[in-house]
Order: sequence, then C-alpha cells, then structure tokens
Amino acid sequence: MAQITIVDPVTRIEGHMKVQVTIDTVGGKQQVTDAQCTGTQFRGFEKILVGRDTKDAPYITQRICGVCPVSHGTAASLAIEHAAGVTVPTNARILRNLTLGANFIQSHILHFYLLAALDYITPPASAPWTPVWNVDLMRSATLQQIGTNFTTAVTMRREAHEMAAIFAGRMPGLSAIQAGGFTTKPTSTMISTFSGYLNTLINFINNKYVPDVQVLANAYSDYRQIGKGPGNLIAFGVFDLSNGSNPSRLLKRGVVYSTNPTSVQTLSTAKITESVTNSWYDDTTNNLNPASGTTVTVDPATKANAYSWLKAPRYSNKACEAGPLARMWVNGDYRKGISVMDRHMARALETQKVANAMIGWLNQLTVGGSEYSTCIAPFNASGEGLTEAPRGALGHWMSTSPSTTVAPNGVASIKNYQVITPTCWNASPKDTAGVRGPMEQALIGTPVSVASQPIEVLRVVHSFDPCMSCAVHVMRPDGKPVTIIKGEPEF
Amino acid sequence: MKVTRREFLNYCTGSAAALGLAGTLLPLQRALAASSGPPIIWIKGASCTGCTVSLANRISSSAPVDLADLLIHTIDLVYHPTLMGGAGDAAVQSLLNAAAGKFILAVEGGIPTIYNGKTCTIYTQNGVDITALAAVQVLAPKAAAVLSIGTCASYGGMSAASPNPTQIKSLSAATGVPTINIPGCPPHPDWIVWTIAQLLSGVTPALDSSGRPTALFGQTVHSQCSRKSAAWATSLASTALCNGNIGCKGRNTHADCPTRLWNNEMNWCVGTVSSNGNGADSLCQGCTESGFPDKFSPLFSTAGAPPHSSKSIKPSCSTCHTSGRPG
Repeated sequence: MAQITIVDPVTRIEGHMKVQVTIDTVGGKQQVTDAQCTGTQFRGFEKILVGRDTKDAPYITQRICGVCPVSHGTAASLAIEHAAGVTVPTNARILRNLTLGANFIQSHILHFYLLAALDYITPPASAPWTPVWNVDLMRSATLQQIGTNFTTAVTMRREAHEMAAIFAGRMPGLSAIQAGGFTTKPTSTMISTFSGYLNTLINFINNKYVPDVQVLANAYSDYRQIGKGPGNLIAFGVFDLSNGSNPSRLLKRGVVYSTNPTSVQTLSTAKITESVTNSWYDDTTNNLNPASGTTVTVDPATKANAYSWLKAPRYSNKACEAGPLARMWVNGDYRKGISVMDRHMARALETQKVANAMIGWLNQLTVGGSEYSTCIAPFNASGEGLTEAPRGALGHWMSTSPSTTVAPNGVASIKNYQVITPTCWNASPKDTAGVRGPMEQALIGTPVSVASQPIEVLRVVHSFDPCMSCAVHVMRPDGKPVTIIKGEPEF
Repeated sequence: MKVTRREFLNYCTGSAAALGLAGTLLPLQRALAASSGPPIIWIKGASCTGCTVSLANRISSSAPVDLADLLIHTIDLVYHPTLMGGAGDAAVQSLLNAAAGKFILAVEGGIPTIYNGKTCTIYTQNGVDITALAAVQVLAPKAAAVLSIGTCASYGGMSAASPNPTQIKSLSAATGVPTINIPGCPPHPDWIVWTIAQLLSGVTPALDSSGRPTALFGQTVHSQCSRKSAAWATSLASTALCNGNIGCKGRNTHADCPTRLWNNEMNWCVGTVSSNGNGADSLCQGCTESGFPDKFSPLFSTAGAPPHSSKSIKPSCSTCHTSGRPG
C-alpha cells in the first residue's frame, strides 16, 4: 500500500527545500516509487540587479549564497569582463583561483562532516545534532573515526575561510573580488601565512577527510548502487591555468551523456533550455534559452500541477547532474560510478586535487604587481560568466543598457541578468516531457526501511550537496508580463 | 538574599582573577549557561546562510572559543535548519517542543510578505506549508528575546533591495515585536555570540536608534580606520590610501571591523595598512546599516557617504575634527 511521506524541512542543506516521496513495496522491497523536490524560497535577484551599475554585480550576487559567495562574485566579474572584452592579469587570475580554491575546501569539509555525516553516524550528544532518526546508523565501529574528526572538521573549515580571507578581505562577503581583477596586493607575509594554512588543510584532507569517506563507503557499500539519477553530467569548468579568454583549466568544461559515459561533449550553452511546465511560471515562457526569454510568474494557486519555484534546466533536453562528480568525471579523474557514495568520494578527491594544485599557484604569485584595473562594461553589450560553485556548474549572463538608460552614476546599467545555479540543475522539477530532475530520478528505487523516518531519502538528497538559495527564482508577483528581457531568470 | 547568576559570576570572576584562577572559570560559566539558558530557535527566512557561515567562523581566546564550544557548552540550539540532525517531522517537533516553553528566537533572513508569505515556506505541519511570515508572527510575541541576525532580518537587507520583488520586511516590521538587531552582511560571529551571552546572563544590552547594541556598533568604521588620515585614492586597489571618495562607506557605517578584524584577525573589507601589507585595499559598503544596499548604491560612488568636502584633494582632518567632533 503506497504512502506519501513529506520531509519538510530538509535540513542540513543550504536554504529551503521540501521533498515528497511515495513509498511502496515493489518486488518485496519497500522503496521510493515517486519523488518531488520543491524549492520553497525565492527572492528575485534578477529584478534587483536590473538598472544598477554593472560593477555592483560581483558584490550583490555574492548574497545569492553565503556558502559559495566566491563563485558568484567570480561569475559576475567574468560576465562583466566578457562584455567589456577584457581578461584579468596573471596575479588576479591566481588570487581568484586561490580564494575560490580555499572556499571549495571549506565547503566540501563543511558538507561531509556537518551536513552529510549525520545521516550515518551517532551524532554528538548535544543540540542541534540530537535528536536524529535513529535508523540504520553506525553500521560499523570503524565509523567512530568520523565522529572523532567532527570537531576537527569544524576547525578546519573555519581555517579554510581564514586562509581565504588573507586575500579576500572577509569571508563570507568578500570585498576583494571585482570586475577587472582582484584588489589585494599579495606580500610575502601573506603568502607564507596562506602556505601554513594550506599545509594544515592538506594534512587533514589526506589523513582524515579522504580516509573517512572511504570508511563510510565501505560501511555503506550498498550506497554505491543507490541514488544514480540520469547519469548525464555537466561541467562549466573552473580554475583557469592560463590567461585569456580560452584558458586551460584544472577541471575541464564539458558534458557527458549516460549513453556514452567515456565520451566528453563540447559544451554549448545554446543547448540549455529551461522548462516551466511544473514550475510556478507562465507556460508562455516555456523552454527558453538563458540568453533570451521572458519571465512571467503565476500565483501558485492558479497552477495546480506545478510544485516548485525552481525551473527545470535541461541540456539538449536531458536532465543533467552538476557537481564534483560531474567535474571529476568530465576531467577523467573519477569514473568509477554514479551514486551516493561516488558523489562523496569524488568530492573528497576533488578537494585533494584542488588543495594540491593551490601549492603551485601560490608559488606563481608575484609580490606586488598588477591585479586590478577598472573594468567598465560598454552600452548594448552582453557577457557570459561560466564557472563552478563547490556544488556544480554556475553561469551568470548579463546584458547592458543602451546609452539612454544609464545607471545613476552615468555608466551602462544592467539591462538583464540571469543566473543558472548547480542546484537548479540538480533539484529541478519535472520538465515539459515529464522527465524528472536528477535528484528526483536518483530517489526513485531507493530502499526505505521506516517509511515515516526515511533517512535513506536524506542520504540521497545530501549526496548532491543542495544549495537552495542559489536555486531561487525571480518573480513578477502581480502576474503581469514584464518588459521583454534578455536573460533567463533563475534565482 | 537571592544572588543572581550574574552577580555570582562577577563574584567568581573577581575572586578568580585576584587568585590568578581566571582560566578555571570556563567550565563554571559553561555549566551555568548550558544548564539554565533557554533553548534557541533559529529560523531562516529569505536568506543566503551567510550569517550562519559567519557564526561558524567564530574563534576567540575566551569561551565560547568556537562553534563547537558554542553549541555544546554555551547554548541549547534546538532548531536550526542548516545544522540540526533531525529533519522533517522530527525537526518540526523540536521546534514545537521549545516553543511551548521559554525560548529565545533568532531569525536569519528577511520575511517576505507577497502572496501571504508563500515565497518562503519553512516547514510542513500536519500537511500544511508554514510560511516564514506565519511562523515568526506566532513565535516572536512568545519569545523571551528576539534576535534579528544579519541585515536582512534587521532591516530587510539585500533581498529587500529595490524593487523588493517579494515585499520583504524586517523581522520587527513583520511581527510588530521589537528586536535586538545584529546586522552585517554577514555579521561578525563575535557580535552574535556577545549578544547571546548578554542575554543568557540576564542582561539586555543597550541599543541604539537602529536597535543595535551600542557596545558593538557605537563608532563609525572610518573613525577606527588606519587609512582615515591618508590622502584620497582615485581608483580602487590604491595601496594604503583612503577610499572615501571612490565608494567606501566607512564614514556612515557603524561597526568595529577595523579593530576587531575578521576571520581570526586576518583582514577586513578595507584592509589595515601595515608593514605586512595593506590587506584587501577595497571598500566598506555599509552592510551594518539600515538602508543597505540601496542607500549606498551605486557601490562605487559616494552615495550615502559623501566625503566631507567637495574639494578634490582631501583636507587635513584637523581642519574640522577638533576636540568634541568625532572622527
């Protein structure tokens, strides 16, 4: 007999999310037979940005997410620089990589220990970690080591942010990343302090974090076969290793289809569309590309079949997963499988890869030198900034006003702005063809031992490291069509 | 004679200091706080989680030394959607249990009011989506103290920036309940911890006209800044100069960032000039002020914090800052 369980709030994610699962017994096994993932918050950053000075975008878009502010600040800067036809000098590129890398380390450690681990281990005996659903916890005594490392992880992620702040100014809410470069002039003292932190973090990653993930994967080895999803992977690529508009990257850009998992397709953003059939937007704006489109919201009460403020991004009409697994797979560094445990392992190995690369980048920094020059986007221009947040591919698309519509200080203003975030890819609802989003697909077939306490559902959801504030959407509350705008609102 | 906990602690502090035993007080303070402090319910409205991330960056030589110390020994944080172990109905039950007794309410994020608040639903109760608006309207009047964590909860903040698409209100405007505001985008973890510690020891801190503790937000950023006497920069990333004429809002922003510093005293948004470098060499954007960000926008203009003088060269500070005139 099928029953529906609603998990709301989904906790230990960034932001607000609700998951509704149908649980039934199929072939003698109680499991998830249907799933709906709902983004339950939005704020409307696209509307907030329209009419403002383009230079304000890196600062403002950081407030889309306090866990991945560096990524948003970077993407905004890249979009403005693209519109202005400039790229940043070497020191700025390296400083951005070091700051973003430090935040990747912070975010991944935060995710494994504070967000995901409590689905598997006995929690520390204190609120807020207690109480949990005491279902299928601590399968092996070897998991004690994860609990032992829990408070060390709290320290390590804090230190990763201190390391980032050496150049960034403050974490989160950094002041140093700007269109045109990076404001900080590195000194030898800053570099050696950064190096000290980096060594400590690499030690933790190598000796605690990666082994802890291995121990977890061994104790819960069935989760190598649970939570696959569509098996299509998308990565915009990140950590430029050279200057200019077509750099090599530490983690490459590309798309992998489940039908041909060892072949990497060249990314073309023209193939991205967003379905709103099951989202609270007007169907006349359905299946539009990020570079062109309109946004018309609807009162949720008037669209009964819709269930999320997230739209459904698709690439060549396929639901695609973004994240460390997608990046490491596209890069050829990890192709063991796609599952709950594969996501955790790929994330840990990516942390190791990025941290080690940072040693070399630090050595490439020039003390003093030029990191910033004022970057002003021209009128009637457009730019695209593609990068990666810790939890997956991130894109900002911006167009600027004609000279008749300037910002208050006389420069080109933002005409349209759009963001597509990784969690929008991952937690999307069904699209027009009825194809579920990656997380929804990953949930189907998940075994559930206690239907009212579906910890297995949390395990699948958490493996994606959802960041729901990023996935919020713009709206026009009065339901009237807005002026036709370029750019696909996504948040 | 009834001795308040604060009096007892002060007595112990004084005695211990006299005896050189200050370090041994830590377990006592922790025990007192953990055993008798009311639970804290932390609600997230329309937010980015930056305030929580900042809190997690807490580091200090005095208790609570970090986030783990705070959560294990200092406060009873029974509901926090980003951190808590429980999910779904179990999480909601923790909230309801605490709300039935004495509790402190902390809210991170603005409160959207469009569509009766449906742009931010925070949990399901008996099959019904509960909006942040409805939740805080029930919880705030019942709480022993109400904290607005961050600029969004305090004043509306970034999510309320023009045109305020989801009609966000501050926590106090949405509930009609006076709040203790700990603004910042994000706030410094010390500001949050200090304020909570005051409340747990039975003290309500003195607040300024923006509802902020005067002990933390009494002075302007500019007045404490190592660059305040320096000449004006004409472009960003000008080493060691004062950025007051290219968009730094420090003159009209109240916070102790230049002296407290951020991230274990590593740096701050503007950057301290020293022999080891000049830090970020960037701008303060007024993130602790009501009206942030619009009052200070465009961010690279002097909006909201015009320089004193219309002169292109900054006059010497002592021209105006004679005794009795702060700066």
